[in-house]
Amino acid sequence: MAPLTPYTFIQCPCSDPSTLARSGDAAPSDVDDDGRTFDPRAPRANFSLYPLEYLLYCEDCHQIRCPRCVAEEIVTYYCPNCLFEVPSSNLKSEGNRCTRSCFQCPICIGPLSVTSLESQPDSSLLAAPDHTAAPQAGPYILTCSYCNWSSTEVGIRFDKPNSIHAQLAKLRNGGEVRLTAKERKERRKEALQSGPLGAPAASEGENEDLDIETQFANLKTFYQTQLADSSPGGNGLSLGDLGFASPNSLTRIMSIYTGGTLHDKKAKSRVGTMREALDSDEGLQIADLDEMDAIKMLHEEGCDGTLSTEQIRNQPPHLGEVHLHGRSRFTSELRPIPYLLRTKRSKRCPICRHIISKPEPKMQSTRFRIRLVAGSYIPSITVRPLNVPGGTPTAPPDTLRPLQPAQFLLTFKNPIFETVRVTLATPATTPGRFASKVTVLCPQFHIDANTDVWDEALKDNDRDRRRRKGDDGPSQSSSSASAQPQGQGGVHQAEAGKIWERGRNWVSIVVEVIPSSLRLDLLPLTAKLVGGGAEAKVDVSPLKEDEDLLEIPMFVRIEWEVDGGGDEVGAAPSRDREAKEKRELAYWCVLGLGRVGQA
Amino acid sequence: MSMPMGSATPLPHRSVTNIKSPTGGGSGPSTPMRSLGSNFGSPSSLRAEEDLIVIEFGTRKLQVGFAGDSAPRGVIWFSPEQQRRVGDFRIWQTDYQNDWRKRSYGNQWGRDHELWQSDVRGLELGLVGDKIERALREAFTKYLLIDSRPRRLVCVLPSDLPIPMLSVTLDTLFNRFQPPTVALLSPPVALAVGAGIRSAFIIDLGWSETVVTSIYEYREVHTSRSIRGGRMLTEETHKFLAKHLAVAQGEPDCKSNENEHELSFEECEEIASRLVWCKPSRYTAAAQPDDGLATVQEQDESDIRGQPSAPSTAIPVPLKSAASPITLELSCDQLAEPCENTFFDLELLPSSFDDHELPLHMLVYRSLLQLPLDVRATCMSRIIFTGGCASVLGLRRRIFDEVSHLARERGWDPVQGKAVEQLRTNPLLKKRGTRQAGSGPTWVESQPGSGEEQDGVWHDAANTTPEVDPVEEQLRRGSDKRPRVYGEMRAVESLGAWSGASMISYLKAPSIATVDRDIWLQQGAAGASRPSDIDPKTQRQSLGAGGLIRGTASGGAWTLGVWGAA
Repeated sequence: MAPLTPYTFIQCPCSDPSTLARSGDAAPSDVDDDGRTFDPRAPRANFSLYPLEYLLYCEDCHQIRCPRCVAEEIVTYYCPNCLFEVPSSNLKSEGNRCTRSCFQCPICIGPLSVTSLESQPDSSLLAAPDHTAAPQAGPYILTCSYCNWSSTEVGIRFDKPNSIHAQLAKLRNGGEVRLTAKERKERRKEALQSGPLGAPAASEGENEDLDIETQFANLKTFYQTQLADSSPGGNGLSLGDLGFASPNSLTRIMSIYTGGTLHDKKAKSRVGTMREALDSDEGLQIADLDEMDAIKMLHEEGCDGTLSTEQIRNQPPHLGEVHLHGRSRFTSELRPIPYLLRTKRSKRCPICRHIISKPEPKMQSTRFRIRLVAGSYIPSITVRPLNVPGGTPTAPPDTLRPLQPAQFLLTFKNPIFETVRVTLATPATTPGRFASKVTVLCPQFHIDANTDVWDEALKDNDRDRRRRKGDDGPSQSSSSASAQPQGQGGVHQAEAGKIWERGRNWVSIVVEVIPSSLRLDLLPLTAKLVGGGAEAKVDVSPLKEDEDLLEIPMFVRIEWEVDGGGDEVGAAPSRDREAKEKRELAYWCVLGLGRVGQA
Repeated sequence: MSMPMGSATPLPHRSVTNIKSPTGGGSGPSTPMRSLGSNFGSPSSLRAEEDLIVIEFGTRKLQVGFAGDSAPRGVIWFSPEQQRRVGDFRIWQTDYQNDWRKRSYGNQWGRDHELWQSDVRGLELGLVGDKIERALREAFTKYLLIDSRPRRLVCVLPSDLPIPMLSVTLDTLFNRFQPPTVALLSPPVALAVGAGIRSAFIIDLGWSETVVTSIYEYREVHTSRSIRGGRMLTEETHKFLAKHLAVAQGEPDCKSNENEHELSFEECEEIASRLVWCKPSRYTAAAQPDDGLATVQEQDESDIRGQPSAPSTAIPVPLKSAASPITLELSCDQLAEPCENTFFDLELLPSSFDDHELPLHMLVYRSLLQLPLDVRATCMSRIIFTGGCASVLGLRRRIFDEVSHLARERGWDPVQGKAVEQLRTNPLLKKRGTRQAGSGPTWVESQPGSGEEQDGVWHDAANTTPEVDPVEEQLRRGSDKRPRVYGEMRAVESLGAWSGASMISYLKAPSIATVDRDIWLQQGAAGASRPSDIDPKTQRQSLGAGGLIRGTASGGAWTLGVWGAA
């Protein structure tokens, strides 16, 4: 296990209130004593927790916006490989993948490059000028520079080095040329014209193997003709039928008012249900159940000849192939993967419709025109171990010892230009099977505004004075601004109700935790102590993933005052200055402190 | 949303008038009410027509794409990795794969690869909603590349989905994606459409169970199921590998705990999909052309017989998730074992199976047997294999052959056993026996001489000219002169449920169960009427009259169709 660095996740307030409740069997007892304790271990919690960096902030609604609660608009579509911008009209017709020459390796998903396949004698000669002079020689292949896969392995070569996508669409694995629908039609026409042997041609058509695309197209035309034939009013079901302007509607209305007599003849001749497709021209495919060849191949090639699930899932749906029950299986059936296109999106607040993030439309630029990240509006929380009793020497250094109090330093940094008041709340014990005790030593404090750095530097004395200002600063006057107190161990004691340290726009407080023991045999005892409820059964199943992680749910409530402006004035003018408006923001967050050692 | 809500006064007589549509020709006074108010709907709803998104829900994966496409644009698989927090990158840690043991504790082995289980009791519905939401969001941004404007959705949902699950699915869709409407389609019907046929016998070799559904004229008429599906195959593969692993490690008698897993789910699933295959049936080549019932596609006999014995070479099977990495050498025949045990279990007596665990060939046979005669004749020649396990090599053919064999052996006679056999062979009862063993479509012609029977009704019925059945007439008229295939076993390839649904939506055939967003948010699942209370004619008529602007959901009653049947 990699060492765990303490982390913070924030729950976006947009999540359902039901997420806050405890889940599963423990729910009833917990709801009783504290109805709204957020459980970071509930499986649903994973869907609403975000690191601060992922969150945005709507300035007008004064609310955090997570990826789930923003409305998105697409700025541009582009290929991540060639950075070519794709017009949105192409997207509909040509699909969601790059249609130029950008491909991923089907084995390792590395980028494939087009290289020319020189004839053997040329490559044996070391005549460099030859190579430079005629780089266009020979057929071309796609090669992966990472795993050395090349398209020759599936028997695909290209005539031209450009527009590989179009060439590939016409090639089957093994190099066989695939007919497009048009060509197929033409060929059939030719066959019909060339000889009077219409019957053999038709019978041939019945058993023809269609690839998915063709089958779909055939079926589509079949259904359309059938619908046109069978729908009673002779309605073609086209968009034009809706308006009153269309002749179809007119006749229909006429037929309605004339008692249907106008239509009767026509209807009678046409009435009927759709019939089913009867041959491959109409899209019917008799299944070929004989898979002996594939089985034989499987036995010959073994595990190495087959694809891993990952590789299969990465394969794009290949429409040019006969139905393979959704997937290819052998390495010889691999196709190069055209790059999926990507989008640049601008994001709006779903409530006030203000844009909260808007990237530069240019592909090469990674900058944003507008970007209201939550990190510049809500205080960031960093966690640092302060006084953690060392674990056993064998355990990794970040391990917490069970049943031994450990102290952590939470540093809240205020990004806004107002002084904010912070109120913290945590449940006394963490939710879950292994309940650790949590004490926030100073749950209420204020953080000074994020003023200009130079102000601070120039008013050095002032700062000193403020740090010691009365109630909450630690009483160590000699420490300079940069000195970290944890080195002094016993000298600097964390006290309840007092903050640990204060800076220009930050405040550190101490959280003390007593990690619970992870021993399953003690669980029945502790569960009774902690839960207090009448739980009939105690879950003594072995440790689940991440259950040894000590995570504290913490409810953060921040309040600050801004100069009231516009219509919102008067909402809360109760504070000392008259034009001030009170704002508050409250959310749950989760602090991951470390792993509890198994002892 | 798209509908003029003001004009939504439910007209009690509307349904009646719609039954008497002008199609009937001389069907009395024709009705002006037929052009539903929907024609006056605001044209804005046309704009929403642009992108219709089709979503197929499966237990393991979600397929998403636009209506009119031939294949889904994106497939999202559910996995535990999908359920991690945003910004949790532990999957990239080097030793992540070795940690599977810890992950699989508690949540049963492999269950976190599923979207839902049909047992709703222990299931957290909110979590299902979250999973759907995250998967759909990924599909929309990664594969469909669409923004978050509301779009109409078409969902292909198993029709046996429990109502709580259906409710949570629709809740998620309506609350998180704001579609104006969601239409529900059932996968078997979509499969039939995707194959171009009106009746089908669908063998869905799915993940949690195998479902056999008979579709007759686009209606589900019969369905039965067995737990022998993909999950069982993976579990059998695990059992099989664990057994060989123990042998290879020299502790063959070490009985491992049932719940302990030696190998990770991912690895077993991978081996099941890569290497496990299905042996051909013992009866494959024994097709008798004169039988009329089981004309299998002709097959070279020697070819098949020679096949399984030839490759006796061992296939190396690398196992990484075992306690220590090891490569097992397994022969081809052994690798067919899990499949054999999962789907057929031929060692056990047929009577030893419970109803929920019938081997597949028996399931299919019984299911066919329970169909009415005509339906059976139609369905048996339109068998569609689908589902994840259909890609197990040789399995489709095996089921097909086993069923053909059963049909040949027993005929379509539900009664079997020694007594019946005696009865049949008893020369004294021979006269009556002829009728009893009647099979398949030849039934009607087989009774020309039975006029002398004591049964007077029979006598009459055989000789009178059959009454003209208008429905039958209609059915016949649409067809051309080419003969349909009846009464013989035949398998048909379908494009898949997703593609079928895409086709249906593209052709703008309205779904019976179309849920309107506003109404759903107001009423929820409880507001749905029974499907029988809704006049399906109203909806089907709107295919012709006002099909594009749906006229039904704005009315008072709406239904969840088969999905809402409690």
